[in-house]
Amino acid sequence: MTDNSPSREPCGHKCGMLPSCAPLATTLVPPQTDADPRYEPPKALARGTLFPGLDLPLGNIVNQDTADVPMAELMAIDFAAHDLSLYLDTHPTDMEAFAVYKDLLRLAEEGNRRYVQRYGPICKKDLVYSDKYNWLNSPWPWDMGGRREA
Amino acid sequence: MFVYEKKLQYPIRIARPNAKLAKFIISQYGGPNGELGASMRYLSQRFAMPTNELKGILTDIGTEELSHLEMVGTIIHQLTRNLTPEQIQAQGFDTYFVDHTVSMFPQAASGEPWNAISIGVSGDVIADLTEDMAAEQKARATYDNILRLCDDPDVNNVIRFLREREVVHFQRFGEALNKATEKLDQSNVYFMNPAYPRN
Repeated sequence: MTDNSPSREPCGHKCGMLPSCAPLATTLVPPQTDADPRYEPPKALARGTLFPGLDLPLGNIVNQDTADVPMAELMAIDFAAHDLSLYLDTHPTDMEAFAVYKDLLRLAEEGNRRYVQRYGPICKKDLVYSDKYNWLNSPWPWDMGGRREA
Repeated sequence: MFVYEKKLQYPIRIARPNAKLAKFIISQYGGPNGELGASMRYLSQRFAMPTNELKGILTDIGTEELSHLEMVGTIIHQLTRNLTPEQIQAQGFDTYFVDHTVSMFPQAASGEPWNAISIGVSGDVIADLTEDMAAEQKARATYDNILRLCDDPDVNNVIRFLREREVVHFQRFGEALNKATEKLDQSNVYFMNPAYPRN
């Protein structure tokens, strides 16, 4: 690929920035500049995004919370980590965001272990905590809300 | 490879079965703008992508779409549970029920089965990423319409989550396309096709 970026060459009519000499016939989605501010994980899950700047609901109706299931807390942390990882896919050099991501991964690991010890495996690898093959007994996601607290 | 997690991305508990809603929400399972097409589109496009960033974003969003497919299936499953044949008929679900009972078949609300013709896999970075951005908008517009048609708060809570994910994915595909375009010869981005032939 040829490096023909505007910084290397005098500005022509097909490179540079709007308005005088834009690269024409290309898409222009404004990049998100920062992973801050962020919602707390439960609010991020309810809204469907970690980032207030991307929270663009239909009308003024937004989710205040999510259904109350035993896994909701773990879902929130996993979701926050996932949404931040998509941001990192297009911002891989943002070290501050990466530090937050690692914190979320640690929280997710702890939350996963707590859930698995109480309700059974989420992944096959969670069977390492089991004393018998209980993969089939832990709740299936499409059944109503899974198992309630004993 | 993929490893299954016995876990929805977002909790779903629909208190009231209602096959009327299932009739049109099924379009996001197997319709032209649905989650099956989304996952197949992204997970298929990634093989020809020239950069790690593009392989990454398509893999990660494509994988998330599989979890959305499971969520839409869960909505339909819970909406159609414990219904009598009389209720199935009264709620207009009989034309689906006769072939599929209350299992999940990937079809549009119109009854047309899922078709790969609804996805684009061109092998051209700009064409594919632009397709992906349009696909996210089409899915967002379909979720908008579901919100306009559906009056069950338990369902709409989940639909609003899925709709917002389309907005976020549009942003990420836009950023990925920006970055890919920056690496091309900007005097004529279409002359350079980095997917083929490979340099």
